[in-house]
Amino acid sequence: MGERARQALPSVLSVLLSLVVCWLLIALTRDADGFTTATAAYLQMLWGGIGDWPTFLGGSPVAVLTRPIGEAAMKAALLTLTGLSVAVAFKVGLFNIGAQGQMLLGALAAAVVGSHVELPALLHIPAALLGAALAGAAWAGIAAALRLYRGVHEVISTIMLNWVALRLVDNWLVVGPLRGVAQAGASITGTAEIHASAALPRLLGDVSRLNLGFPLAMLAAVAVWLWLERTRTGFETRAVGLGDEAARAAGIPVARRAGLAMALAGALAGSAGAVLVLGTEGRYPGTLGAPYGFDGIAISLIGNNHPLGVALAALFFGAIRAGGTRMQLLDVHKSFPELIQGLALLFVAGRLIWLSVLRRRRAPAPVLSAPTAPTPEAPHA
Amino acid sequence: MLEIVTRLLFATLDAAPALVFAALGAVLSERAGVVAVGIEGMMRVGAFCAAVAALTVPTPLAVVGGMLAGAALAAVHAYLCIRWRSDQVVSGIALNLVALAGGTFLLETHYGPNGTPPIQQLTAWDWPALSSVPLLGALSGHAAPTYLALALPFLLQALLTRTPLGLRLRAVGDKPHAVATLGLSVPALRWGAVVGGGLLAGLGGAVLSTTVLDRFEQHTPAGLGFMALAAMVFGRWTPLGAFLAAAFFAFGNALRIGLASSAPGLLELVPQGVLLALPYVLTLLVLTLQGQRSRAPAALGVPYEQESR
Repeated sequence: MGERARQALPSVLSVLLSLVVCWLLIALTRDADGFTTATAAYLQMLWGGIGDWPTFLGGSPVAVLTRPIGEAAMKAALLTLTGLSVAVAFKVGLFNIGAQGQMLLGALAAAVVGSHVELPALLHIPAALLGAALAGAAWAGIAAALRLYRGVHEVISTIMLNWVALRLVDNWLVVGPLRGVAQAGASITGTAEIHASAALPRLLGDVSRLNLGFPLAMLAAVAVWLWLERTRTGFETRAVGLGDEAARAAGIPVARRAGLAMALAGALAGSAGAVLVLGTEGRYPGTLGAPYGFDGIAISLIGNNHPLGVALAALFFGAIRAGGTRMQLLDVHKSFPELIQGLALLFVAGRLIWLSVLRRRRAPAPVLSAPTAPTPEAPHA
Repeated sequence: MLEIVTRLLFATLDAAPALVFAALGAVLSERAGVVAVGIEGMMRVGAFCAAVAALTVPTPLAVVGGMLAGAALAAVHAYLCIRWRSDQVVSGIALNLVALAGGTFLLETHYGPNGTPPIQQLTAWDWPALSSVPLLGALSGHAAPTYLALALPFLLQALLTRTPLGLRLRAVGDKPHAVATLGLSVPALRWGAVVGGGLLAGLGGAVLSTTVLDRFEQHTPAGLGFMALAAMVFGRWTPLGAFLAAAFFAFGNALRIGLASSAPGLLELVPQGVLLALPYVLTLLVLTLQGQRSRAPAALGVPYEQESR
């Protein structure tokens, strides 16, 4: 088994275990036919995520494939971007719990640039994306500055900043100064509709909501990976994350690397907001609701904080979460995949348990009296 | 005027207990060195289990059930963080996600999407002798949690600062190795603090569904756990400080609600959203001003390893 695979094993096992536990949960909360219902619900989740292949092969139009895939890709794009946001911060040794707030501000910036500025499409989309990235970066920059100059732990500051962003945006800006003007007596909630020139183009036309956001997110994952692995600043960023004392001794500008990485994290989360607004919502809705920023924490950790792992985890959870809507056919709440994701994160958190279990399995059959088997109290992993 | 202040105090005393209990739970856990990001999830299971239990057993007993549920979730946190030295923030966030989605799932399968059926609320106690006195009248007419929330902070403060056990709990959050050299068990002390914190957070959640509301409602506790964290930080990680911060936040909230109905003109000058953001902004400000001198326990978030150092 390669080193890469060994690193990924706890995550894979965690996801599988979570799938099994949640399957049992459906089965055991039903009075009759629990196991059949649970299996049927899982199948619906699958078809809702990767396309309804049985009906397609039975002669249905191609939309039964493209629609679910489009939904999955849309969710995967958002999860990838917020997951990358958390992962980049981890690489420099910071825990970005603030992806949610950064995403909210990015979404708001994209909605404002999309509706208040008039530009040709070729410029409008980049401008809106840039605005969102800058807004997210600025919000994350507050946490970075507090950490670097005042020693405030970023876990606390980003939690607080999430709530400040939520309250200011949802309870003030969107219902107050930035509220869209109702047209022809129709009352609308949220900001004004964005111009068509700012909307991310749909890649498959009307048969799917798959839009430019998905390839952009995948591109971002590859770009972040190349940056971390192949460039000097990326290497220095990882060095700071592995040990800032050693990095400082080696002449790396620790504060600048940390600040830059946190700003990049904010920019990625902000872009997620832009993809949401420019791709599917069309404006900043009355309340954004979707906690993709918090999901990013789960995606990043399940993806082992590796940019490509993040993309993989996001694809998987994007698919099953898109499939969640179809579970309602069997009276399972559409947020059920979030439970799968949460439990998977919980199991990933117990990483040392997995490593200890795996080590025990690999070790030769223990001799009862021999004290050589490594005890879980002193792992050297 | 006095009448208005009395009404405000009454509203504060009615709404504050959940926040106070959760904040005290967070303080207890973090003073022993274990990060309490999972408070929100513990409140949610506490609220859910209390509401479900109250459908069949008397409400006071159901509240105890909610506390135990919060403690059970805290025990998972303790097992992962203390026994397996998992990242405490990750574990806490995972518990929040599980509690959020799990609560929604169980609610949907058993009681429909909106909430559990209504339950018997905890009875409010009237003190006829007090209710006619201005200001003090605000003390009358609350359920038991309110009075407990007024006493518990002092008891916990005394426990932490005046007893050997409190000294050990604080030491285990600042210098666990020093505690170990005394022959005391660091894991046992931390387990106690985390599970105790879970009991309090579960109580906070149970209070939400048995006094503030009369059911478990889908979004409970809607971020109150994070506000409890803010109160803990604002109160410099002490029980009394957290209590005062929580009371201050609750009073501010009562004031905001009061103003929204009685003086809507004032709210056009200062929008609601800005007021709602204020607790978090103030907490950030306090942290910024304190800077390095912040009173966070020294070993907060650091898993304890006997062999390290």
